[in-house]
Amino acid sequence: MPTVLIVDDALFMRTTLKKVLTDAGFSVVGEAENGEVAVTRFQELRPDVVMMDITMPVMDGLSALKEIKKMVPDAVVIMCTALGQESSVMDALKSGAKDYIIKPFKPEKIAEAVRKASSKD
Amino acid sequence: MRAEFINPFVTAGIAVLESIMASRPDSGQLAVRSATFTTQQVSIVIGVTGAVEGQAVYGMSLVTATKIAAAMSSIPAMTFDELASSAVAELGNMISGHAATLLSQAGVETMITPPALIRGANVEISTATPALVVPLYTDFGKIEINVALKEAPAKLTQAAAPIVSGSAA
Repeated sequence: MPTVLIVDDALFMRTTLKKVLTDAGFSVVGEAENGEVAVTRFQELRPDVVMMDITMPVMDGLSALKEIKKMVPDAVVIMCTALGQESSVMDALKSGAKDYIIKPFKPEKIAEAVRKASSKD
Repeated sequence: MRAEFINPFVTAGIAVLESIMASRPDSGQLAVRSATFTTQQVSIVIGVTGAVEGQAVYGMSLVTATKIAAAMSSIPAMTFDELASSAVAELGNMISGHAATLLSQAGVETMITPPALIRGANVEISTATPALVVPLYTDFGKIEINVALKEAPAKLTQAAAPIVSGSAA
């Protein structure tokens, strides 16, 4: 069962993502409320997939993505954010994000993205 | 403030609320509000930085906020607790993020700050410029979209945080 780390400053979003992913059969092994905590949790937990928000206090998700990819180049990170402008999408994908989901989202889209991203094929 | 800056926020508000409520809100009359105004019972404040800077403030009654949080969380009998506050703040984040995308498509690059939620009526908010206001009428009640943006001077793209004063009810 793929393990997932959820990173979002909003309690509501962490709760929603945890329920969606748990219902879809994934194991949520940790949560982080900003990018800095996410980098630490990633080092501790080494999850299969990271669901990463962008707009967060302390350290934003794009900076955290770059830190994580510097540590583990094949880390699987999916951005999940309200920001849909091309510059943000391109920055995330160039920095190594596996997928980019724009809020509000349909639950099945989250499960499908994690399933696809964690697939070894 | 240029009037066209509020249009992406209204379009985004209608789209995001429609996806949450499964019914389309109606927009009301555009109005101008002074740079200092008082809040409704629940207000979400989001900073905007980049080519334009300032704030977007989404105001609503506690009843409306609670109904929206319940719809977002799929919890029918919800009280306005920490989870509900977070849900309503996330609503402001989603509307502002969508608006930033629409602004970008019009050639205006911006970023948004994490949302701050103010609970309590008659709290005074001061923004850098007078705000344009458009009410959205939803099945859950009225939501006011206040947008106070000005074009950023070159090399000066950091939005000032709004000054909030007064006592929360």
